[in-house]
Amino acid sequence: MAVLDRMNSMFRRAPRWTYIALALAFALIFPVLEQYGVIETLWLRLGTRTLVYVLLAVGLNLVLGETGLLHLGYVAFFAVGAYTTASLSSPRLGYHWNFWVIIALAMLLSMLFGFFIGLPTLRLRGDYLAIVTLAFGEITRITFNNWESVTNGPGGIPGIYAPNLFGWVVDKPGEFFYLLLAAVIVVVWLLNNIKTSRIGRAWNALREDEIASHHSGVRPLQAKLLAVVLSSGVAGLAGAIFAYYQQFINPTYFLFMQSTIVVCMVVLGGMGSIPGAVIGAVVLDTTPELIRQLFTKWLPDAVGADFLPGVQTALQQDFDRYRMLIFGLAIVLMVIFRPEGLLPNKLWRREVHEDDPRDQANTRQHMFDAEKGAQDLEA
Amino acid sequence: MSDVVLDVHSATKTFGGLKAVNDLSFQIHAGEIVSLIGPNGSGKTTTFNLISGVYEPDSGDVLLRGESIAGLRPDQVYARGISRTFQMLRLFSNMSVMENVLVGMHGRTQANIIDCMFHTPRMRREEEVCVEKARAILAQFPGRFPESRHDQPASSLSYANRRRLEIARALAGEPKLLLLDEPVAGMNPMESMEVMQQIRDLKEAGHTILMIEHDMKVIMGASDRVIAMDHGVKLAEGAPKDVANDPAVVEAYLGRRGADTAS
Amino acid sequence: MTFEHILGLTISGLTVGMIYALIALGYTMVYGVLQLINFAHGEVFTVGGYIAATTLIYTGVDATTPLAAKIGYFALALIVSIVLTSFLGWMIERVAYRPLRKQSRITALLSAIGMSIVLQNLLVIIFGPEPIIMPTAVVPTGFIEVFGVRIRLLQVIIIVTSLVLMGLLAWIVKGTRMGKAMRATSQDMEAAEMMGIETNLTISFTFIVGSALASIGGFLVAMYYGSLQYDTGFLYGLKAFTAAVLGGIGNIYGAVVGSLILGLAENWGVGVTLGVLAWLFVFGLIAGLYVQILRAPGERVSHIAEEFRTPEYERLIRSQYQLAPVVAVKTLLSERTDALVHVSARHAVRLMAGNIVLGFFAVLFFMNGEMQFASKWQHVISFAVLMAILMFRPSGILGDNIQEKV
Repeated sequence: MAVLDRMNSMFRRAPRWTYIALALAFALIFPVLEQYGVIETLWLRLGTRTLVYVLLAVGLNLVLGETGLLHLGYVAFFAVGAYTTASLSSPRLGYHWNFWVIIALAMLLSMLFGFFIGLPTLRLRGDYLAIVTLAFGEITRITFNNWESVTNGPGGIPGIYAPNLFGWVVDKPGEFFYLLLAAVIVVVWLLNNIKTSRIGRAWNALREDEIASHHSGVRPLQAKLLAVVLSSGVAGLAGAIFAYYQQFINPTYFLFMQSTIVVCMVVLGGMGSIPGAVIGAVVLDTTPELIRQLFTKWLPDAVGADFLPGVQTALQQDFDRYRMLIFGLAIVLMVIFRPEGLLPNKLWRREVHEDDPRDQANTRQHMFDAEKGAQDLEA
Repeated sequence: MSDVVLDVHSATKTFGGLKAVNDLSFQIHAGEIVSLIGPNGSGKTTTFNLISGVYEPDSGDVLLRGESIAGLRPDQVYARGISRTFQMLRLFSNMSVMENVLVGMHGRTQANIIDCMFHTPRMRREEEVCVEKARAILAQFPGRFPESRHDQPASSLSYANRRRLEIARALAGEPKLLLLDEPVAGMNPMESMEVMQQIRDLKEAGHTILMIEHDMKVIMGASDRVIAMDHGVKLAEGAPKDVANDPAVVEAYLGRRGADTAS
Repeated sequence: MTFEHILGLTISGLTVGMIYALIALGYTMVYGVLQLINFAHGEVFTVGGYIAATTLIYTGVDATTPLAAKIGYFALALIVSIVLTSFLGWMIERVAYRPLRKQSRITALLSAIGMSIVLQNLLVIIFGPEPIIMPTAVVPTGFIEVFGVRIRLLQVIIIVTSLVLMGLLAWIVKGTRMGKAMRATSQDMEAAEMMGIETNLTISFTFIVGSALASIGGFLVAMYYGSLQYDTGFLYGLKAFTAAVLGGIGNIYGAVVGSLILGLAENWGVGVTLGVLAWLFVFGLIAGLYVQILRAPGERVSHIAEEFRTPEYERLIRSQYQLAPVVAVKTLLSERTDALVHVSARHAVRLMAGNIVLGFFAVLFFMNGEMQFASKWQHVISFAVLMAILMFRPSGILGDNIQEKV
């Protein structure tokens, strides 16, 4: 852990924009590398999927990290976005609407959905909110699963048309990568602006102490609703583009697991930190694939064909399971040993904490107030 | 009278069969420091909660400068001009000192969601004004919040400084009335005296203050008037010396026998 | 719909309800002691069933095994499952929850979710994604005829076993030193510690008992349905949690009542027609109103400032509201809206919001002809109950003796 902190402070020495510029530069040339055969298409597909997760993680960070609400049904908004695209741009219902209209509609619908679900549930606090949102996420999925006249149930909706952006038909992974990258940049820019404004401060205050913030002029329900609605919009956007990219969706894309994966990403990266959410998504989505490639390809190629055959077959067969296992372990270890995440919001580091025994003493002291008051009166 | 800031008018709050506050009436005038005293369970905190919008009085009314605020939400009460601190410190620990004060200005700022998304010039101007104001407020606690501490998390402050920061946050709302719930609780005598001086300074600066306090030195030293409560009823009201020597008050604190021996 | 049909549904409802209760007890005990939703509890239940089934498979029991040996193997599987699952429950608490006891509840919940993911995927890695098949030889196959309805012997066994276990648990909680320690810890951990109670030991014990009950539940489910899958526990866990909340989380009798209600509701729900469903919604609206008035006492108590909260005062306040049900019925009969004075403005707003949500569900169910209330919507009943109960009456049916926990 000390190593992580040292790395953190080392990285902080260079100005922040250098890292943003580096990351952007890397992202921009990434699809080009694939085009010239430097990397395989596999990695480009992975990168595209990672960007979808980045959008989701940044969106959920708004609710989980900034406002401190544990939302376990986040994937439902993703599903609303995806099904909007699938219904309005596929042979299933025979519509072929414009890309921009669909994106706007997907965001609007998921925001409305977030609003109507948030209105009654956001009165609940902490773990009860988590369970209610989980239940709501499952209801949404079951509804999509059973509403066969529109969603075709478990069979899913195939053949989603490629989007057409003012004549640019996006249908290759590299093009989707750029499309998603643009979405990420815009979303991160907007959300970062909000984060550093009075609204962002109100969210953080709610996370820290709801009663005190209510008495400082913040309307808790209104502020929470705003956070939930905005993050629903981001998920809707991610879902809409995801459906275009995937060309096929069915309810199994929207399992509860997806919600927990995004939660893991936010927790791993550091709650309340946008770069943290991005890093969390990238690390959690790419590391398992790196490990698989390492054991099934790179190491065997370097050492010889029979390198650890057991591990190889296990990784090939149950890869998804090992991935989830690692996610689960990561989340447990993270909250126990480093609750502030890999790349924490700078204030979460408590290196300058002055220990004061009165923090605890104060709570106990009031028990004896009556006597104290009496002594004072006598004095 | 025209300078009445707060008028609590026969307010009653019942929890089940228990009258936590019973037909309580008092007034606070501009520029005054009034202390609310009484044994535990006498209804002081409930009174604070009635004023600050946590509870709605069952009957009676609470008027701020002649305008009823009974039944408003805490944020609305705050917007009308009453700020408060808490008995158990309630700071935003993982936010910086500056941010804590800026949150206190939330109800005084206008920037909407579009302004915040795009950081419009209007929003930036407002933000600059807020930061300036916050600096000025923090400067009212000389030596406690130097510039270098503004960006540190509130949790890094010492206990006494955190109590001060809570007062600073309340001041950020430009209150007409400041409610302080045991401002010196848990402080040592030196710190208590310093906070007492600061409360006096706030009065000099034109603030009106209602505080709950147990520390008799602070009550005697800072308040213009004292209201003693027991069982939700006002026992006595007047100059600190008179109230402290009021037999009913002594009895409430010490019981019948205690009152006999004290007199 | 015949009487036999309804009786049959009732019996299956009771059976499922009893199994929910075995799991719900674990949730509610842990919540009572730690105020923590033990999210991994559903997985503990699955693991219990898997261990029992695996043990039986290893013994090689089949139709030719003599009865005495069958019973012996059965007992062996039960014991192995209880011991290992209890150990698992104990370990989960040690590893994932104890280090976080001073942290916020969300942190602990995150850790619990992580633990649940780990367990579920470990099951798949070890046993594969296909369901594990229970050896049929040990499952009793007889029937009992009551009023012309054939009831499976296994259903009777499940109901009886659960009742015995619940009696045992009631005795542990009420009658033993450990039970007293549990109750003390759930009231105030710090004070209990000062009184010389080993709270760590007590908490471990709570997890062990809860896990043992869950493992028996897992075994019973595996016998009842003949198989168990790695993700069975997720749904069962969620439903049992719903039941615990329905009955008032932290209250062990509430958990049993809530489980039975949920089990019956699910089974009746599948059997009834849309017409009956419509009546259920009307009933739901009325019940919502009723509950709004009923909940007032509990909420008022919880809103009392700390400084007033002595047992005497609380009793006094409660006694004021003993007549609340009478008032509620009068309100409904007289249609006097001003009787709602017992409900403060905030409650009334919440009531309206609640009715809107109920209406939303009603629309959801009726919006499409194909959306008949068939078994594919069965799970939705539970989730809807969960959402409704948390929004309207988070303290549950019997939950008025817990502090404000939402």
